[in-house]
Amino acid sequence: MFIVFYHVPFTKTISMANIENQIFSSYQRNPDLYDEIYDKQGKVKEIYQKLFEIYGEHTISDYVNLNSKAKSSFFNQGITFQVYGDNDVQEKIFPFDLFPRIIDHKEWDIIERGSIQRSKALNLFLWDIYHDKKILKDKIVPLELITSSANYLDQMNGINPPGGIYNHISGIDIIKHNDGKYYVLEDNIRCPSGVSYVICNRTALKKALFGVFNHYQTHSVTNYAENLLDLLESVKPKGVDVPNVVVITPGMYNSAFYEHSYLAKTMGVELVEGRDLFVENDFVYMKTIKGPEKVDVIYRRIDDQFIDPLEFRPDSALGVPGLFAAYKKGNVTLANAPGTGVADDKAVYTYMPQIIKYYLDEEPILNNVHTYHCSRPDELKYVLEHIHELVIKPVDEAGGYGISIGNKLTKAEIEKVKVEIKENPRKYVAQPIMSLSVHPTYIDETESFEQRHVDLRTYTVMGKDKEFVLKGGLTRVALKRGNLIVNSSQGGGSKDTWVLKK
Amino acid sequence: MPNQYKITYSTENTYENWVNNAYWQFLIIPMENNTQHHIDVEFSNSLFAVNDFSINGYGFKTIRVHPKKKFKKINFEAQFSFIKDHIDPFNFPLDINDSLAYKEIKELTFKINFEAFLRSTVLTKLPNDLDSIFHFNLSNTIFENLQELNKWTFNNFQFKAGVTKVDSKLTDIISTKQGVCQDFTHLFCAIARQNGIPTRYVSGYLNQAHGLLGDSQMHAWAECYIPQIGWKGFDPTNNVLANTNHIKVCHGKDYNDCSPLRGIIYSHGKNKTTHTVKVHSQEQ
Amino acid sequence: MLARVANNLFWMGRYIERSEHVARYLNVNYFSSLDAPNIKSQDRQFVLRSMLFMLGDPEEDESKFLKEQDVLYSIGLDPNNPFSIISTVKLARENANSARDLISTELYEAINKFYHFVLNYPKEVFVKNGLHDFTSNIAEMTAILRGKIRGTLLHDSVYAIIMMGVNIERATQITRMINSKYNDALLSQGSHGDKFSKSFEWTTLLKCAESYDMMRRFYKKTPTSITTLEFLILNPNCPRSVMNSLNQVNEHVRMLNPEKRYNNDSTAFLIGRVRAEYEFKYVEEIEKDIKSFIEDILDSLVQISNKVDEEFFSY
Repeated sequence: MFIVFYHVPFTKTISMANIENQIFSSYQRNPDLYDEIYDKQGKVKEIYQKLFEIYGEHTISDYVNLNSKAKSSFFNQGITFQVYGDNDVQEKIFPFDLFPRIIDHKEWDIIERGSIQRSKALNLFLWDIYHDKKILKDKIVPLELITSSANYLDQMNGINPPGGIYNHISGIDIIKHNDGKYYVLEDNIRCPSGVSYVICNRTALKKALFGVFNHYQTHSVTNYAENLLDLLESVKPKGVDVPNVVVITPGMYNSAFYEHSYLAKTMGVELVEGRDLFVENDFVYMKTIKGPEKVDVIYRRIDDQFIDPLEFRPDSALGVPGLFAAYKKGNVTLANAPGTGVADDKAVYTYMPQIIKYYLDEEPILNNVHTYHCSRPDELKYVLEHIHELVIKPVDEAGGYGISIGNKLTKAEIEKVKVEIKENPRKYVAQPIMSLSVHPTYIDETESFEQRHVDLRTYTVMGKDKEFVLKGGLTRVALKRGNLIVNSSQGGGSKDTWVLKK
Repeated sequence: MPNQYKITYSTENTYENWVNNAYWQFLIIPMENNTQHHIDVEFSNSLFAVNDFSINGYGFKTIRVHPKKKFKKINFEAQFSFIKDHIDPFNFPLDINDSLAYKEIKELTFKINFEAFLRSTVLTKLPNDLDSIFHFNLSNTIFENLQELNKWTFNNFQFKAGVTKVDSKLTDIISTKQGVCQDFTHLFCAIARQNGIPTRYVSGYLNQAHGLLGDSQMHAWAECYIPQIGWKGFDPTNNVLANTNHIKVCHGKDYNDCSPLRGIIYSHGKNKTTHTVKVHSQEQ
Repeated sequence: MLARVANNLFWMGRYIERSEHVARYLNVNYFSSLDAPNIKSQDRQFVLRSMLFMLGDPEEDESKFLKEQDVLYSIGLDPNNPFSIISTVKLARENANSARDLISTELYEAINKFYHFVLNYPKEVFVKNGLHDFTSNIAEMTAILRGKIRGTLLHDSVYAIIMMGVNIERATQITRMINSKYNDALLSQGSHGDKFSKSFEWTTLLKCAESYDMMRRFYKKTPTSITTLEFLILNPNCPRSVMNSLNQVNEHVRMLNPEKRYNNDSTAFLIGRVRAEYEFKYVEEIEKDIKSFIEDILDSLVQISNKVDEEFFSY
């Protein structure tokens, strides 16, 4: 017989109706924002009620205590990224919030189907633009969009990747707008990162507050690695029986090194650097203590331009000379395939509804943020009349440069933007200003819960004739008040994300 | 009459300090096509490292070498022998519908199919000020215009080795009016593409026996796709059409796609590299 | 296993072991000097010089006055001194980092904690009154690491490589300690009627190797040069002895290369050969010429390490 010790408060079930909920007592709701746990009337939504009660039994100091324990556990496990200062290197953990986000099975079903739909459509799009280019010839997507992209690789023309898969791993960034609907903000199909944090967040939450899991039927997230390995093995090169899979990393100084080592470890495969591999006779080998060993599938976490200095950037020491030739010959699989970056360009994003329709003959399951192309006269007219409620983006600038947010502009600035757009309408697109939903997040400075904007990155893995979406995903939090940018490099944190079973 | 060719390519590389690790990729083997065949390749290096024959991202034959021990000096020597058929560059149909050709190059499908060779690259980017460069005369045929362009490049630019580098920009070449075959070819490609003609940079060898101009290393010329005719070679360095004396190795958007030798050398200090190419032909 | 990663694991083992020996040498020498029976051994300058000597960074200028706090900082926490404990621990962790997917989470976490402990140890506390706390924590944390290595890793090639690193380093460090204590015994003799063979330094040496109690139990006599050397070099049952370390290296190289075929170019052959030499040696042969012995054994250990490198880490 097992004796299970419970930390009593977590399992006690008391109706919270008239007990003061300390932890949320100072929580302030802005009625203009879509709050994930409170409805419009200020009532806690049903799926959050239990969680709200359980957390409510804690005092802020209990919570602070748990929070700091969770943090030190991240730190000791070395789940950190490095910040380079003037004189020294500091290790930081990604801020982690112990109050989880919950997604019920109905909403999840939409997200999951929508993620798969997008990944599949992008895969077909990539096949097409590296083969017959029908979508261009049918004038669905303009030719310039592809050829002006720095991520279009001429060398990929005519190559048939094993299993027909380009974007084996896709990370799709989704938000909930204040209309309560999900919208996709971005498709990441180069080397989307962050999945290890999904699993670490869950582990940390389980350690800190294991009792809460007794009340929710939550899908596990620890099966990511096994599914990833399974799908990577399914795209093995022709003629290989049991493929040898490896993960290639730029090295331990890369900010995502923890993730690379985590994935290699949990898949039980080697984590290699470029210098551990070599190519001979168009086959790839790794250098082991027992001599060379053939490698068949490479999950690469190195950007296209760095994978092979003889084919791409010659100044790169990260890659493997001759790797592309081995790939072209079909002797090794690269996941994701080189050249996928062309499909996650901002400009291609705006055509996603048409791309989905063209290849799958389906309506998009997940909404795209509507995009107005200033190159089209009627849309230009709308944009010029509605600048105050739009975000204006140059099509060819990356990294957030040149973006104007309409409701933050003065009258004079709006006029200036208008002139710029009129001068060169082809250069601009416009989108409605999206309002990301908010989630109660513990804030150190005020020692209380506050509303913070969140998004969600889902992870879709595609193999030969099968696909998998991790039931969870990474909820990222913009920790600065009012900030809409949830990037980790911009002071973002993350939350455990629960997908409930039926 | 077909020609029996023998080409020797040799390069010697010396380094001030030990080289602990190095990779080379040679893109120097004459390609097999409908005028070049029975290609026989011999390749050796002085360190007896493995010569790894492969195919690069654009589908051309390469040789990769990666010595497994450190060195200060390495020589490579290649010998190619093959048959080159006699080429009459003017052997193409004369009954071309010119307005149809001009129409075709404006069509989207045409632009998509030849997109890579219509694109402007770093090395084929024209300056904004286009006054001083050659302009097509649309009352002439595409072929005539390209011939004129060939002649214009030849007449206006002086062959001079050492004034430009492999990564020289067109703006510099246009202002100095000097350069070598790569520069003239880049300029030719840029202007032809500007006029909607798919044009590719060709790297190869030149048989200089008949007084053609080159610099005893690899030669460069251009190939244009003309509707109803197909790909045609133009050598602006010599103001001729590519013929039996032009032995093609590969083509691409510009020099960067075709550089005959790519190397990654892990060493420091000075190094010296010399190349020699000898082309020997014999009419059969 | 990747050759590069094997190399990292090997050095991870070496650096963990090295940090422990240096820490213990600091601790034992410093504290036993405080009430040493002769003036020379009590002399702070003498002790500080001995520490630098053992570290391989001796102060050549005999007239120079060494400041205690500077020397302690330099050996313990100076990140710019490549021989310091902090540098060694950093390297141990860096090597562990790049082999992170191969070692257990438990081992990695322990190394990481170890690293953060050393990195965050306040410098002022250390040089003033933290020496004991710092060094004994290092001894304890390395003991934990050894436990995690043995208890949480699969006893396969990963384990064998780490253990080879640990044991080659242990033999090296023990030999270095013998070297510097031999040097100290020479310097301190006669100052208080102390003879070389009965020097107080032999007791200190045994304590540095955490072998004093065992040695007393085995010989039941005050340590002399000959019994100390016999115990620390030749006795295979002393866990810190050179012999024991060589036996362990021998055992672990056979896990990597179980081949029985005659191959005089293999690491296993070389280790076997060195081991055989010390297995059947009289301590008197060593005592006659300690200097040559030290040079020989250090040279053999370097050769073994190079051979490991050549056979397993280079391709």
